[in-house]
Amino acid sequence: MSKLIYLGCLSDKFYESTCKNAIKLIQFLDSEYQVIENPPCCGSLAFNITSDDIMKNHVESVNEWFKIKNITELVTICAGCYSYFTRYYKEFLGNEFKVNVQHFLQFLAEPRNLQKLNLKISGTNLKVNYHDACHLRNSSIPIIEEPRMILNSIDNIELVESDYNKTKSICCGAGGGVYSIFKETSDYNGKLIFDNMKKGKVLLTACPFCYTALNRIREEKNIRKPVIKFEDFIVKLMEGVDPLS
Amino acid sequence: MSDKGEESYEMVKDKINRLNTAGTWENKFGIFWKIASSIKSQQHDLQYLYEDSSREFVNRYKEQLITMREEFIENMDYYVEKCIKVMREVNNMVVHYAKTNEEAQAIFMKEIGDTKVIYKSKSNEAKDIGLIEVLKKNNITIKETDLGDVLVQLFDYKLPKFGVGPGAHFSKEEIVAKIKEVHGVEIEPTAKAIVDYYRESYRKELLNDVKISLTSANVISAEDGTIVLGENEGNISLLTRATEKHIVVCGITKIVPTIIDAILVAKVQTRINNVSFNYISLISGPSATADVQGEKVLGMYGAKEVVVILVDDWRTKSLKQDLIYKELLKCIGCRTCNYVCTASRAFGNMYASKYGLGADGIIRDYIHNGIEAAVNDGLFLCTGCENCYHWCPVSVNLAEIMKSIKKEATKAGFCPPALKKYQEKILNEKNPFK
Repeated sequence: MSKLIYLGCLSDKFYESTCKNAIKLIQFLDSEYQVIENPPCCGSLAFNITSDDIMKNHVESVNEWFKIKNITELVTICAGCYSYFTRYYKEFLGNEFKVNVQHFLQFLAEPRNLQKLNLKISGTNLKVNYHDACHLRNSSIPIIEEPRMILNSIDNIELVESDYNKTKSICCGAGGGVYSIFKETSDYNGKLIFDNMKKGKVLLTACPFCYTALNRIREEKNIRKPVIKFEDFIVKLMEGVDPLS
Repeated sequence: MSDKGEESYEMVKDKINRLNTAGTWENKFGIFWKIASSIKSQQHDLQYLYEDSSREFVNRYKEQLITMREEFIENMDYYVEKCIKVMREVNNMVVHYAKTNEEAQAIFMKEIGDTKVIYKSKSNEAKDIGLIEVLKKNNITIKETDLGDVLVQLFDYKLPKFGVGPGAHFSKEEIVAKIKEVHGVEIEPTAKAIVDYYRESYRKELLNDVKISLTSANVISAEDGTIVLGENEGNISLLTRATEKHIVVCGITKIVPTIIDAILVAKVQTRINNVSFNYISLISGPSATADVQGEKVLGMYGAKEVVVILVDDWRTKSLKQDLIYKELLKCIGCRTCNYVCTASRAFGNMYASKYGLGADGIIRDYIHNGIEAAVNDGLFLCTGCENCYHWCPVSVNLAEIMKSIKKEATKAGFCPPALKKYQEKILNEKNPFK
């Protein structure tokens, strides 16, 4: 039996420090979780454009890799991977897919983990927004309350809800591989997400695709409010570092 | 193979450029649409003094609406038959059941006889059925009556438009300049002056001239064969009463089981679109009187004849053959999906087809004109966020349909090259970024 930290291709390629933070965080909570070099891609970017029979081959090959590595538990920091593993792998493989997949927000929100983390923020009250990524809210087991549970458990952190949240959140415009072909989709929608933050000072996201789109918009439109990846934010709190630094 | 993908991709990119170029119609529509689609419905709810928000209203009835639509689709043949029987035997309507769009078009042409001018209210259905193109081909003059559509005709504007406010992206200055150019009349650039001008000139013409009027239906009740039509302007009321013959053309999926269901659907349509529906017509037959010795005579002050053309075309087929777009049968045409769509909000009328804005318009183009048409409309702009599904009062998952069409498009060689590259890397090297 092995427990796998599945970083996802996008974070692995572009967000090295986030990956390090995620590994630190997950291993702090359960040291049996390990990263394995060069895991196969879940296939998320190909799902919308690949016929079922070809996709099935790919899904089977990924599952084969899991079997060879004897993976039974998996925590991923990628919303896309979580969505596709939970939504489509079961559909393609049925009971042949034996890996218990968790998104790190679910993993963190487990009572024993929250207790162990015992997160605090020093100083004055910090108002934060959480952006519900489509991949998380649309999954077969939607992740909507977990991030809220985590944030609400932290003293001095106040979660501000946008008018468009939970299942009705605004999409950043990066889903479905659209970011690679038509970045313009996120120009307007990304801005709309920031515009709807109300009194929130920080925008948190647990999806690397959303982060990529939102951070670009933030930079291009000179938006002052930072967007921070959830795992980076939590690790900073763990280490007593100012999350806005 | 990849050439087609490249070509379509460049075509869509070009459209995006036009959208981002100040002064183009695409750009003007885009600016208008961003405001229109992000309007906070709450403000409008307050304006109408509602005690609940539109969202609460829809949520309260969502389950009922879904059950109603599923009940209809499961027993579509039964309800269509029942509706036709009541319309014919009780309501004195002439009813045609058209298996295909072509059949519907032919029936319509026969029904209008020698008449060369028809007055029309706003109708997405007429577009879906391909009726407008056929009328144009046959040199029939279509007189739009909804002011928005009148303006669209005035400008000879051909791009996709917003169903609820078709001409709302023209500025007052543009409108009065165009009126001067076309009609030679000078009026002030105010909304009131423009409305007054059409009230004075066009209303009279309509009342005197209308012989045949064409409408769709917001919804139709099967139990009593009643056609429900909602409007603000009064144009539908006028042209369905002042006419000799009122022809209703719409898809069979406009039917719901009962009159109460029909009213609910109409109410959902108004609440979602933040329009007031100042008039809702419930039309259950031509005008009639029995005031002379109790003998019923059709055609008193209102329409003499009511003709209903119910069109099947893709509808039953999609159900029987389990086609990817059969979910669309549930649609009640409320346009929620347009307002909340990620791609629609960003791309306005260039993420659309001649059948309307957004994924719904694109899927209809796919149904009628095939895969290439859908790709060129901007199929690949759909992010699959499923906002359409989450907000839809009857839970139609357009994103799921779009995904299936994307797969088909890729198979036919229409996938955008960058996306195709990712796919190849994932399948061959098990990593898209290697």
